[in-house]
Amino acid sequence: MNKHPVSLTVNGDQYDLLIEPRKTLLATLRDTIGLTGSKEGCSTGDCGACTVIIDGKAITSCLMLAVSANGKEITTIEGLSSNGHLHPLQQGFIEKGGYQCGFCTPGFIMASKAYLDEIPNPTEAELRHALGGNICRCTGYTKIIEAVMSAAEAMRNA
Amino acid sequence: MSEYSVVGKSVPRVDALDKVTGAAQYGADVHRPGMLYGKIVRSKHPHAYIRGIDTSEAEKLPGVRAIVTQADVKTGRSVFATDKVLYVGEPIAAVAATDPDIAEEAAELVKIDYEELPVVQDVLEAIKPSTPRLHNDDTKDGPARRVIKARLKKLSDDESQDHSAEIEELTAKFESLEDEVYYNISAETHTEAGDVEKGFAESDIVVEDTYVVPRVHQTYMEPHVSIAEADSSGKVTVWASTQGPFAIRSGVAGTLGIPLTQINVIPTTMGGGFGGRFGVALTHVPAVLLSQKTGRPVRVQMTREEEFVDGRPAPGCVIKLKTGATNDGRILARQALAFWDSGSVSGASIGSTIRVRGVYKIPNLKVDAYGVYTNKSGTTAYRAPGTPQVAYAGESQLDEIARKIGMDGVEFRLKNMREEGDQIPAGAKEPKVGYKETLKAVADAAGWWNREKGPNQGWGVAIGDWTNGCGPGGIYISVHEDGSVRIFHGSIDITGTDTAIAQIVAEVLTVPYEQVTITRGDTDSAPYATGSGGSVVTFTMGNTAKLAAEDTCQRILALAAERLNTSADNLELKDGKVSVLVQDPPRSISLGELAAYSLSTTGGPIVGKGSFARKPSTPALAAQIAKVEVDPETGNVRVLKMVSSQDVGFAINPMAVEGQIEGGTVQGYAWAMMEEMQYDEKGNVNPGFVDYRVPTSADLPTVQSVIVEVPAPNGPFGAKGVGEPPITPTLATMANAVVDAIGVRITELPIKPEKVIDALKQNGK
Amino acid sequence: MRNFEFFEPTTVEEASSLLAQYNGKARLLAGGTDLIIGMKARTEMPEYVISLENIPGLDGITYDEGSGLRVGAMTKMRALETDAIIRDRYTALAEGAAEVGSIQIRHLATLGGNIGHASPAADAAAALLVLDAQVQIGSADGQRTVPIDALFTGPGTTVLEPGEIITAFEFPPRPANSGSQYLKQKIREVMDLAFVGVASAVTLNDGAVENTRIGLAAVAPTPIRATEAEGIINRYHPVTKEILEQAAEAASAQSRPISDLRCSAEYRRQIVGVLTRRTVQTAINRAQS
Repeated sequence: MNKHPVSLTVNGDQYDLLIEPRKTLLATLRDTIGLTGSKEGCSTGDCGACTVIIDGKAITSCLMLAVSANGKEITTIEGLSSNGHLHPLQQGFIEKGGYQCGFCTPGFIMASKAYLDEIPNPTEAELRHALGGNICRCTGYTKIIEAVMSAAEAMRNA
Repeated sequence: MSEYSVVGKSVPRVDALDKVTGAAQYGADVHRPGMLYGKIVRSKHPHAYIRGIDTSEAEKLPGVRAIVTQADVKTGRSVFATDKVLYVGEPIAAVAATDPDIAEEAAELVKIDYEELPVVQDVLEAIKPSTPRLHNDDTKDGPARRVIKARLKKLSDDESQDHSAEIEELTAKFESLEDEVYYNISAETHTEAGDVEKGFAESDIVVEDTYVVPRVHQTYMEPHVSIAEADSSGKVTVWASTQGPFAIRSGVAGTLGIPLTQINVIPTTMGGGFGGRFGVALTHVPAVLLSQKTGRPVRVQMTREEEFVDGRPAPGCVIKLKTGATNDGRILARQALAFWDSGSVSGASIGSTIRVRGVYKIPNLKVDAYGVYTNKSGTTAYRAPGTPQVAYAGESQLDEIARKIGMDGVEFRLKNMREEGDQIPAGAKEPKVGYKETLKAVADAAGWWNREKGPNQGWGVAIGDWTNGCGPGGIYISVHEDGSVRIFHGSIDITGTDTAIAQIVAEVLTVPYEQVTITRGDTDSAPYATGSGGSVVTFTMGNTAKLAAEDTCQRILALAAERLNTSADNLELKDGKVSVLVQDPPRSISLGELAAYSLSTTGGPIVGKGSFARKPSTPALAAQIAKVEVDPETGNVRVLKMVSSQDVGFAINPMAVEGQIEGGTVQGYAWAMMEEMQYDEKGNVNPGFVDYRVPTSADLPTVQSVIVEVPAPNGPFGAKGVGEPPITPTLATMANAVVDAIGVRITELPIKPEKVIDALKQNGK
Repeated sequence: MRNFEFFEPTTVEEASSLLAQYNGKARLLAGGTDLIIGMKARTEMPEYVISLENIPGLDGITYDEGSGLRVGAMTKMRALETDAIIRDRYTALAEGAAEVGSIQIRHLATLGGNIGHASPAADAAAALLVLDAQVQIGSADGQRTVPIDALFTGPGTTVLEPGEIITAFEFPPRPANSGSQYLKQKIREVMDLAFVGVASAVTLNDGAVENTRIGLAAVAPTPIRATEAEGIINRYHPVTKEILEQAAEAASAQSRPISDLRCSAEYRRQIVGVLTRRTVQTAINRAQS
């Protein structure tokens, strides 16, 4: 089967790759590029652990073929902090204890970032609904919601 | 204010940066040069003879490097099915290939010739004589036959007089109880205290019900994975995401006949465990076999679907429960008969049936429990294994009694709770515990005493008890020239335990928490550490850390005495420096200076060590109150309020403890309301997150956690293990709240909307 | 996942030719949220995958007071859910779209994919039924239009011929005095498939309810209209509690649900009634406001 040339901009770096069409964006990020921060929790789009941001929108990267991401700008958890400064969401998750095992955390942070970029001042109910595509098995969500709400406030005040 | 400066504080966790930046390395993040990808060939039938395994097509696929079957297991220990499969998903072979998609393709190409057998999935069917039988030697007597048998033995042993008439009568009765010969029994346990028949006879009210709890999956977010690398000398390295690296080492070594010195388990960061991540068979052994055969590193990673068909979930069970009480609310007797669905192998949790006694003064108790074989994967621990199931039955039935005698649910429980010195049914004397404090705390926090409810709303209360485990562990501490303190150990962080260890060491050494770092070793380098399960780590490794820090202190004081030219008992370690107590002018030396000095002494660097095995732990209680609203037309149940309290002994990190309480409560909620592994004659029919529903943030409100601290005498700073208790009451909490809302009890979990509608219809609403 | 040849045509004609050429062995890739899951599960093993991503003009929402709403087949669910006109005038469609998966899924999933997949439980399908959608179908041979009621032929099947591709959905204009709603029975608030889905739409004329449409999902081999119930609502004025109850019963009776691992047919039938009553009432309320 023919491999396809795929050009991805990931966290500002350009990658020119040759990829089998059956490889998902998640597999490409993790196995080919070596960015393992995005996680594979279900591979059916149900858990959100693989969430990355493409052209400003959060998507489940396990359900996108790498060939479909050709030419796109992708941000993963590894690209979120800049110059050694944590993003307010990362800060929020630390301060509020918004993670435990941490496996779902990159997905939650990326989903939250894309959402807050669109809706900077959500109610708690709106946020709980918006993050419904991400499963956390450890926290029971209370501290995740606290973390994102506090980050939202910090981002509004920044 | 706390007398402590680091413990008891919600400091950020030691692994905070790694976890929020994506840097933390979980199992599947490990990549080795030249690595191959493994895939397990699994049974497609729940019960069948294997008539042939043909790997020839798979071997021809380009990229395939090896296929292993039971024939490759030189020890003969069972790894793969050979002549019979007992559940869908049972491993039959494993493939290694250069690419995960090729491995998957090859696994599909392995042809298995099956001869299908009848299937049994329901425990009450499985115990009947006519059902398919999974194993031999599987029949046991039920409770009544056991009583007669014991009596018969006593009579026949007694040669002092002639009992032949009674023996004859009892023998006939024994033989007539045919339906009490249980088949497909994997295990049994029996406990008795007092005389339940007498207790029921003295009761004003006796309630009897059958409670059904489904099998659920721990659903840790990281599926099982391991990477094995066998080198030419025979040395095997396994990167494992596991709760117990030392258990994996001994397990793999034993299964494959590898000497302990020839196997090193390197634990990775773990993406959740909840009891389900101890097993060696799921990925570790196949990965090692494939690596040994190919001479290359091999990663075996389960998909979510494989987790559902071949994980080791929590057993479902059927509990027939009977409780008697007086009209003024004294529990007099309780009798339980439980059938645990242990799947294809003898399973977990059956021993927890005794916890149906709760924390109550029940003078007469009888518990008979059986594990039952069915055509499902085996089971294992899930957060307080077995207790959520039996607490659901026990606390539901108490709720029924409270309703029937018109007594408040909290008052009723308080009245029957054991206190220090009380007799535990079929147990020892109760130590000092915080049962009543914990229940009162949740009632106060939830506004129970002046609760109000609108139409279709209800309140539920329940409790659950647990005792943290204990096990061996060792820790090393070293102090460096910059004053930093390094901890080295081999236990796995189970969502905050490393942080607790670091806090304990910082507290004892009086240094700022930020100055302490922690390094996790592998099984080659680290001293033994007990597995991270059973709420054991903070208790065991916390005690170990405290001992290690105290040992370090001794070394520090001895060194300072030498340096400051005084005696050690004239010195005080405080605020990270050692000061002379009685001396003019005052003199002191920092830990950093001491560490630097230590390098030029004959004594050498500052190193402390701690070793710990076990001490008695103290029971812990979790208590919860939920308020729900039911849509009487659709049956949907919405949680309006959820409050969860727990006696944690002492919260070393309150934020982390709250996180455990909140997380456990939501897992319990899910078990009560939505989670259920469903099976039919084709096996598990919902092996994915579409029809196996794990709650999301949209399903619940904020869980309010209430920390109660009744110190445990042997816990570090009084701490108890906190991970498991919070899941124990929630099944009953939710069930009791739903009853309060709709007026009828649902005795089979999960409480799906359709069951609510059926119950309402049954009740004529 | 089994490997496949991947095509990225830039015109509908080109895509159609490929689809016809590899008939039976090719699948169209829209958002991928059904197809990729199917390929991973090996329930779908196409040898050729034809992406519609690079065909200009398939994505987008346009509205005109005169001609109505046009939604390109590649329009994402998230775009439907957040579009101001759709939320205001075609509310059931916004609500149906918002019920599909998560935000992350809805940034991938397309309306064309959701409808073309022809799941009986498709959340957007019930809304399309009650908003009188016309399905634009393109191929190398030209264009045709099929009303949404005539699109589905069974679970996973449609009237599309080999080589045909859904290109857009057109909806007639909806006056300000119209209203609609989609409700879904589920256990999880987010990320659940419909146990039952019901959409209703009405228009008010001088206070009388007209043009009632009721669409049902997950209770028959295809999404269906509850025509008996529609007739009851249209016939009586005012729409009282009793009328609503009659319509609910008619909708239940017209549904043909099955029992499966999610719930029983009997329960589904009951929920059809409940959601019919609720959505019709809400649609009327929305039309009035």
